[in-house]
Amino acid sequence: MNDPFKNMKNSMEKSIFKDFSFSNERKNAVREAIRTNQSQFHTETIIAILESVQHESKDGYNISVQLFQKNVRAFSKNEGQLYTLLHLLENKEMLTSNWINNKKYYSLNSKGKKYLATYKQDTTKQGLSLNPFITEASL
Amino acid sequence: MNELNQLAVTDEMMLDEREQIIDQLMREYSNDILHLVYTYVKNRTIAEDLAQEIFIKCYKKLNQFNQQSTIKTWLYRIASNHCKDYLKSWHYRKITLNNKIFDHIPSKSKQVEEEVIKHSEENSLTNAVMNLPLKYREVVFLHYYEELSLKEISKITSVNINTLKTRLKRAKELLKDKMIEEV
Repeated sequence: MNDPFKNMKNSMEKSIFKDFSFSNERKNAVREAIRTNQSQFHTETIIAILESVQHESKDGYNISVQLFQKNVRAFSKNEGQLYTLLHLLENKEMLTSNWINNKKYYSLNSKGKKYLATYKQDTTKQGLSLNPFITEASL
Repeated sequence: MNELNQLAVTDEMMLDEREQIIDQLMREYSNDILHLVYTYVKNRTIAEDLAQEIFIKCYKKLNQFNQQSTIKTWLYRIASNHCKDYLKSWHYRKITLNNKIFDHIPSKSKQVEEEVIKHSEENSLTNAVMNLPLKYREVVFLHYYEELSLKEISKITSVNINTLKTRLKRAKELLKDKMIEEV
């Protein structure tokens, strides 16, 4: 009894899969998506957020205004990402939040303060240790 | 702090490394994956979209790859699951299926090309396989087209090897019935 599927590969290659391959445009689209994923959050952005709530608690809008004044443009075309990052920093216990009048006010907690302090002490090394957050946040 | 830095450095390197891994996966397997996806969704454009999503998904999940299987098996597993998720999705069930129903209304003249493909001798086998129920089509395709071992297929689909054997056997019977019908 011969195998009925023996010629299947050949048959498929000549019919449904003829001239059907994953094009370079498609591959580039994947690379593009990967790149935008990588470069979403920078250490400076995170530090700028931490600094903005260093002395007083602020809501998301006021944080974004302050970032704008500081010339941090990472969220200038997608403000929503700021909230994603704020949420992540909250989960990582770098920030705490309070609801006041239907607005969520963020402030620095002890872990965040420590990060900010060490970052200022030693810019080069400490900058790196934030990378795990950045990667996680951008995925 | 040292530990953290260590972690950060590996993570930093990973970004670049990860991109390269995906590049390599695309170079070696993108057509296989695309064809696999097609056997699930039976539509070229959707297959291309899904394949694209699959590689992006791999990039995102690369840190979860735990070396227990080969990266190829892992990639296929993501692909297979992604397709099954798509077939369960609202979009597929409501929109794509509706369009399919329109395609089957007899008054609508079918594309000539499609007719030609259907009638050519060579493609009756392909058509028969593509018309098998999904659980048979899946194992047949992975085994005979992608030339994977039953052990690998078992890892990809989380189906027991003996079950796979039974499905292959049953698929052969179904196929024979169909071919006889056609003749």
